[in-house]
Amino acid sequence: MLSAHRRFVTPQTNETIEALAARALPGEPLDAAIDRIKSYNMHIFVMRRPAGLLLGSDVVFVEPPLQ
Amino acid sequence: MYDIVIRNGLVVDGEGAAGIRADVAIQNGRIAAIGNLPGEARQTIDASGRVVAPGFIDPHTHFDAQLLWDGQARPALEHGVTSVIPGNCSLSLAPLRAADRQKVVGMFQQIEEMPAVAFTEKYAKWTWEGFAGYCETIAPDLAINVAPLVGHSLIRLWVMGEDSQQRAATADEITAMQVLLRQCLNEGAIGLSTSFVDVDDKARPVPSRFAEFAELDALCAVLGEDGGRMLQVVPEFYDVDITIARVDQLAELSVRHGIPTTFSPVFDSTATPTAATRILARVAEQFARGARVWPQMQTRPIDISFSLLNPSLFLARLPRWVRTLRLPLDERMAALDDAETRAVLIRDAGPDGGEATFGRLVVRGGDRAPAAYVGRRVVDIARERGQGCAEAIIDISRENGLDVAFLAANGGHHLTDRIGPMLANPLVHIGASDGGAHLSSFSTYGDTGYLFSEFVRKSGDFTLEAAVKKITADTADIWGLKDRGRLKPGYAADIVVFDADTIDRLEERPVHDVPGDGMRYIRSSTGVDVVLVNGEVAWAHGAYTDARSGAICG
Repeated sequence: MLSAHRRFVTPQTNETIEALAARALPGEPLDAAIDRIKSYNMHIFVMRRPAGLLLGSDVVFVEPPLQ
Repeated sequence: MYDIVIRNGLVVDGEGAAGIRADVAIQNGRIAAIGNLPGEARQTIDASGRVVAPGFIDPHTHFDAQLLWDGQARPALEHGVTSVIPGNCSLSLAPLRAADRQKVVGMFQQIEEMPAVAFTEKYAKWTWEGFAGYCETIAPDLAINVAPLVGHSLIRLWVMGEDSQQRAATADEITAMQVLLRQCLNEGAIGLSTSFVDVDDKARPVPSRFAEFAELDALCAVLGEDGGRMLQVVPEFYDVDITIARVDQLAELSVRHGIPTTFSPVFDSTATPTAATRILARVAEQFARGARVWPQMQTRPIDISFSLLNPSLFLARLPRWVRTLRLPLDERMAALDDAETRAVLIRDAGPDGGEATFGRLVVRGGDRAPAAYVGRRVVDIARERGQGCAEAIIDISRENGLDVAFLAANGGHHLTDRIGPMLANPLVHIGASDGGAHLSSFSTYGDTGYLFSEFVRKSGDFTLEAAVKKITADTADIWGLKDRGRLKPGYAADIVVFDADTIDRLEERPVHDVPGDGMRYIRSSTGVDVVLVNGEVAWAHGAYTDARSGAICG
């Protein structure tokens, strides 16, 4: 039995941040969902890479750190 | 008559059993017998007062290029390392089309800090494209065993070309990658490496990072076809949550395809003191459910050196410094003389004039380091000069042709009382040396000697036998290396004879033996008397021999 760990998803083919946010945080207003996803994933959205580029191998957290 | 008998040593078998006084006989490159062996031999090695152990295995290296001009992988061999695993972190030198060579050289230059000139035709005879061709090219000159990984970025680049750094693969492309991986495994690769963190010389993510999980899953299915080959990964090691997510992904692949996986590095850091223990706790949970996810941890503290002659890992968070140091020397000097450029660099170093970044560094002494500065902290020198630390670094370098080296010592992973118990954890794989890479940042040699000096003799975290086991039989078992890592009849005669009381690494020093007059840091060994590779003496009493008995192995 694995202990709880911070939940994450990986991007689907050609998925945008908008589409990923809608998928990962359904029921949440889209703008708020995008903001949350960005705030949980500074390693993607602050690192040097072309704006908005999600990589297929990215770990995208869908919740804040557990501890 | 035996070819060689090593007499009267303390034989430590690699499996952890208490050492025994015995002779070791070698015939046709294999261990023929162990015990009291009075018979004659063509050559006798007296090991009285010495340990006789299996040759050490280094599982994380980037010797891919060095093996083209140095089949002894100096100085790894003299430390008792008889087998190395290159091709880590998604990068190998095959399969690689001629048209893509410069692209991959750029990746090695950026990620592994290797000079591009060393890859030019003058030093590296680019006779191959396929994996077999690379193995055939290096094989004749090998004095050390090589168990190569094939890099995911190379597989992707071969199949997808420029698109490998632009998009996800199609189903047909994934199938083509599977076919190519299968071919590489048949031609000598022992597994696949991938990277989730690296960028190339243009700051673009390397090809492997564009792979969706389904692509990696499909490649791991190939690894699982033939008894389970290794997947090696470099994760986002600077972030514990992401690393644990990668542990979970690797565990999923391991269980699904019956393969071993390993990731490196795991560092201990006083800045994030619970990070390594959290990662190891997750690893233990995943092992308990049947996954094999081996975390690699190095023995040595993090020491990084740099000068303004080359870009360095140390400056990775200062991209404008890196770009400036990539300029040709005359342009670089002009840039460092230019008031506007200097101001930008100094500003980038931080609001404190770079004191937090550079202040604790010590002038270690390049060829032209002023004697009055050697051994002193940059912050003290800067105050004496009436400058900020970044400005002092620039000016001391300019005044001396840039040939002044600065050392950041014990930059993490340096607390023996914390590291020792982690290294001794049976789920921790000792590795991550990076041998053959990061040439001008630190020496990647001597981690094995340091294991004995620091963690056997000083801290007592390991017995002699447990330390030997950790870097021989354990490594061979984790990687599935056949007939290596043990002193047993029938096994390959990869053997190191050493003094348990003195084996160690010596001081780090610069040498200028990289093709194109390039510099690298190395450490020589002490306490290692004789090293045999496949039954031939490759190093003896302080000198390399002409033996070329190394092999591509797996």
